[in-house]
Amino acid sequence: MTAQSKIPVILVGCGAVSQLFYLPSLRALEAAGLFKVHALVDPSAQAREPLATAFPQARQLDALDACDAPPDSLAVIATPPRFHAQQTLEAVARGWHVLCEKPMASTTEECEQMIAAAREAGRILAVGLYKRFFPSSAYLKSLFTHGQLGALHSFTIAEGGPFKWPAATPSFFNKAQTPGGVLLDIGVHVLDLLLWWLGEPEKFVYADDAMGGIETNSRIQLHYASGAHGLVHLSRDWATANEYRFVFERGVVSWKTNDANGLTVQLADTAAALRAQLVTRIGGQLDSLALTPLATNPQSFIAQLQNLAAAIHGESPVHVPGEEGIRSLRLIAACYRERTLVDQPWFTPAETTRARQLAVQP
Amino acid sequence: MKIAIIGANGFIGSRLIEVFHLGGQHEVVAIVRQPCSLALPARFALDWRLGDALDAASLANALKGCDAVVHAAIGDPRQIERMPAILCAAATIAGVNRVVYLSSASVHGQNITPGTTEATPLKANFPIEYNNAKVRAENSFFAAIRKHRLSGYALRPGVVYGPRSRWIADLVNELRTGQAWLYEDGSGICNSIYVDNLIHAVSCCLTATQGAGEAYLVGDAETVTWANFYDLAADDVGVPHDHIHALSQLPEFKKTFREKVENAVAQPWMQALLPAVPFKLKQSSKRILASWNLPPSPEAWALPGTPRPHITQEVALLQQNRWRFPHTKASQALGFAPPVTFAEGMRRSLSWLRFATLDPTRQP
Repeated sequence: MTAQSKIPVILVGCGAVSQLFYLPSLRALEAAGLFKVHALVDPSAQAREPLATAFPQARQLDALDACDAPPDSLAVIATPPRFHAQQTLEAVARGWHVLCEKPMASTTEECEQMIAAAREAGRILAVGLYKRFFPSSAYLKSLFTHGQLGALHSFTIAEGGPFKWPAATPSFFNKAQTPGGVLLDIGVHVLDLLLWWLGEPEKFVYADDAMGGIETNSRIQLHYASGAHGLVHLSRDWATANEYRFVFERGVVSWKTNDANGLTVQLADTAAALRAQLVTRIGGQLDSLALTPLATNPQSFIAQLQNLAAAIHGESPVHVPGEEGIRSLRLIAACYRERTLVDQPWFTPAETTRARQLAVQP
Repeated sequence: MKIAIIGANGFIGSRLIEVFHLGGQHEVVAIVRQPCSLALPARFALDWRLGDALDAASLANALKGCDAVVHAAIGDPRQIERMPAILCAAATIAGVNRVVYLSSASVHGQNITPGTTEATPLKANFPIEYNNAKVRAENSFFAAIRKHRLSGYALRPGVVYGPRSRWIADLVNELRTGQAWLYEDGSGICNSIYVDNLIHAVSCCLTATQGAGEAYLVGDAETVTWANFYDLAADDVGVPHDHIHALSQLPEFKKTFREKVENAVAQPWMQALLPAVPFKLKQSSKRILASWNLPPSPEAWALPGTPRPHITQEVALLQQNRWRFPHTKASQALGFAPPVTFAEGMRRSLSWLRFATLDPTRQP
């Protein structure tokens, strides 16, 4: 494949994430000459319809085995997590590279199979943890790595709100089909960023409100070898502050969830905080027009696909390979193993007792 | 009993599930309109079903096999009015005879005429369209239970507070942002009811052997003033009482053109005419209305850090109320006896808010 050729894309799963994110991204990238949508795979013709309208030249298929895309194509796996492993294995076996949506799979064992298969086939396996492409995330990574504000002391993260994802089916809430709730859904991004920024925690304490079903509120306390500690609250129940707040030795940084190119910084011993949009570095000339905003949230999603195109052409490493994607799932699996019932202080004593009994039932 | 709860993801519905499922007194069937509304019910391993409270066939399917149904769904005024007839038709198709409908004390208005009881005739001429919708909905409910010969109960709670209540979250937010206010020292009567007390009333309706076909006013055991309500919340979040704006006058609330049009559209006669209006005309009218009466821009020449009280017409009317409605009828016919005190209800409500908003300095 030449550097100029359009990479054929097989979009596997045409649900909400494909319609809301991949459709506009791939349309922009087709126009830019990087990709060409080759096939849309979903058993539901209704789900395929909006994508088929956007990509009329793409073949519409009920199942992956009917796809005739050539080797070196890119399969985007955007189906429910329980299908990720099997579809990834099938894709790499056919010589396709894979971008697998988050969470990478239902279990870490499946992730390991996927990584091994991609490695053996010499194919790229990337995971759709696109928040690593946010300029804000990269800026924070730099602060943690290089310590411009000194050592990190603590952090508090609250993310989520009433669940409004336009899910077509109740599978999100079926324990047999989806192995976790808010921790697996939102937490996979939050923990991925924390692992990327800060490394593995030395210890953690986890609690949630699953009482025989799937959790909608999660709490994680994390402790690091550096002495830093943090608290993460995730919710599908009530509007949270949707904020990450980091207290450093010489300042505080606040980041609003999904603000791809904005941060609020309060330097120690200053009278006010700076709410800033991230722009290009200040150059040598006195030319304010040269300062242009860094990537937005949609542009960061597109950047993820651009990174893959460059990686497929051998021009760049994959930013979030499978070996990185598995890390947050390992931590999530450990959280579920250690889970306790979160304290719900409005319950009566009798309700609390019963809730504890239900929480430990398989 | 196997109880279907319509609106199982809402404030009252989610607490109903917690109380009934954890208490073990009833088997619960959670009914929601769309998959994304299953987040709260799905914390438990229970029977949940999709059913549209505005579609009798869909709802009837969801109600199959249940012994009784509790209707706790909410909607806009037009939806509120349509729901009771659909509920009763669906219950009839599904063979569910006992229906508990959550009406509201708003059928008497926010500033209730002294002497009001359940026997006071209802009028749909309030300045807030929600109240009129609830009046029409309750009338529709009783007409439907008579038509279908159902055993129906309508509960009229006042200010329902508790975990996941906007009353609690909004009040604390206004206290923290300096926008909270009290009219005439908060001496007005807040006809409060802690959500568990309302659920107790629902339980009474589910097992009552008499009193069907009636409406019941229900509230906390105590007479609670607005000052009581605000003071407990202010103490909990550490806001001094003198930071609450003390008002002796309230503004006039004139309807904007947009509100007038929306109210007119909500009228039954207009609803009957709407299907004849071309779709494109309706869409363009909506767009024009949406751009009308945009909120005024903030006052530029105001001192910084001096927030104004946030006064809505609903709360202005509520704070002028001087009548504590009785719940004698519910006590006598249903055995209603609210089990949770106001102070305990507020303690539980505020502890929920600390949980939900992750205040690390004030975690329980």
